[in-house]
Amino acid sequence: MKDKPSLGVYSFTGCAGCQLAILDCEDQLVDIFSAANVRVFYEAMSNNDDDAKVDIALVEGSINTDEQQEELKAVREKAKILIAFGSCAHHGCVQAMANGDGKWEERFKKVYGDAEFTVAKPMETRPLHEFVKVDGWIPGCPPGASQMLKALTQLINGSPPTYTNSAVCLECKFKENECLLNKHIMCLGPLTMGGCGAPCPSQNMPCVGCWGIIDEANHASELKKLMEYGFSKEEILRRFRLFGGSDIVDKVSELLEAK
Amino acid sequence: MRVYKISKQDEKKLFKVLEKFGEVWLPVKKGGKCTFSRIYSEDRLTFSQTEICNRPLLPLKKLLLPPEFNTLDFNAERYNRAEQNVPSRVVVGSHACDIHGVNILDKFYTTDFIDPFYRERRKKTIIIGTSCEPDEYCFCNKTNTNIIEEGYDLFFNDLGHYYLVWVGSSKGDDIIREGDDLFDENITDKIIGDFINWRKVNENFFTNDIDFYGVTDLMELKYNDNELWEYFGDKCLSCGQCTMVCPTCTCFNVIDDLEVNKNEGHRRRYWDSCMFKDYSMVAGGHNFRKTRAERLKLWYTHKLKAFIGQFGNPSCVGCGRCIVTCPVDINVYNVVSRLKGQEKELIRK
Repeated sequence: MKDKPSLGVYSFTGCAGCQLAILDCEDQLVDIFSAANVRVFYEAMSNNDDDAKVDIALVEGSINTDEQQEELKAVREKAKILIAFGSCAHHGCVQAMANGDGKWEERFKKVYGDAEFTVAKPMETRPLHEFVKVDGWIPGCPPGASQMLKALTQLINGSPPTYTNSAVCLECKFKENECLLNKHIMCLGPLTMGGCGAPCPSQNMPCVGCWGIIDEANHASELKKLMEYGFSKEEILRRFRLFGGSDIVDKVSELLEAK
Repeated sequence: MRVYKISKQDEKKLFKVLEKFGEVWLPVKKGGKCTFSRIYSEDRLTFSQTEICNRPLLPLKKLLLPPEFNTLDFNAERYNRAEQNVPSRVVVGSHACDIHGVNILDKFYTTDFIDPFYRERRKKTIIIGTSCEPDEYCFCNKTNTNIIEEGYDLFFNDLGHYYLVWVGSSKGDDIIREGDDLFDENITDKIIGDFINWRKVNENFFTNDIDFYGVTDLMELKYNDNELWEYFGDKCLSCGQCTMVCPTCTCFNVIDDLEVNKNEGHRRRYWDSCMFKDYSMVAGGHNFRKTRAERLKLWYTHKLKAFIGQFGNPSCVGCGRCIVTCPVDINVYNVVSRLKGQEKELIRK
């Protein structure tokens, strides 16, 4: 039998819910821990080996300080494969919603005043790929069990994780939901990466985009439609930005200037 | 063809008869949406259009080929076809357009390459069509799919106090025999007159003024009209809803899901959409239809032109689902309108 791959779960800025999402897979937990040699996983174990070289590193959270940048680079050096695990690591998530508006320092001062930071120098939040090479990602805030387990299994078996490259609408239609957009509700399903199983629209709650933007997202068209339904441009863009990630800014400012 | 009459007062008894042939399914309003659902005799629904809803969000294909299902269980040594557990079903309340849709699926899935999953479900499904009152989005009269001559087992024409029942298959005949005392074979001149009159009245309900004349030729002649397709491409959200709700969209994807640490997996099949960018991506990363405009053009060419060469008819059955579904109003009506150089649009209310 071939050697078990080693696995490390690392955490930066976020709610740590992505680690919890793994622990939440109770039925598969034994399988995960049997399939991989788990070396680092602070939320699950006490005997962590921080210096261990690992085959697969799952990294959750975004990067918010210079110290984290260095730690991330160290993880990169220890790992053969580095996976951005969850929305924070993948695109910045909610903490990146105001990225690029030029008011970060102002906001920072409002919260922390003139406090001096001795341990680490804070900065505007950024996703992992801006600092290190990321070999793949598992989307979601937090990732859903089926997609995450599938990706984990692929990684453990030595193949790259595959992604759902269809909008939330696909699975939403599988559940035979009426389109919320057509009911004049601000649903971001068409802009958002699927794979979640459309739990929110299935409960009549509009999609807020927590899995991040899909490649083919047509923000301009959805913006136009929502404005026809009476939403103001500002509230629509605010919603776009909520889980839009650090890269949404350019797109949104483009839309702000247009029309 | 044999024709019978059944009084609406006998619907409850008929329901009991149908239940002998399998689960009874009807389109009903559930949580505000219209969906094919299993109905029990105690639910006390009648088959008349006033009780059941007009346009199920997903067409009959939802029962003949579910949105996603497991086809195969495998491990390192062997594989087994996954048990489908397909129940026998009696689906009541499909309209002529949807049955035309099923006929197209039949051609596609059971002619050249037989799809065992489709065939099994199709064989176990009895289709009892019902007549309908068209709404403002229906245009089956323009696609010649408002009248149905094959594909159903029974077809109920709602003539007020009674139904005039067409028998379309031997299974349909079995139902008639089983409910022998409910069906009246005596079709009087009065009934025939009522039916002809009802048909005339019904035709007047169509208000959708889509002009289908020459559309196939226009698709050919305007194939390179990029401006037309870019107009729609700019609007398209690539959400794929149009292909999900279309009664004649047949595309699917197949994917292997592995179990963690168990050396086993499942081969899952699910509806795919040509509106997705990855749909036309091939090995090596080349994509045949990178832009939304190209993908829309593909879909409409397939529906309105290419299918004719392959199977003899366009594969649009005039059900109006694209009109009521597309969030940005890309639909057969608006595409046809632009093809004809017009700018009038049909917008869902």
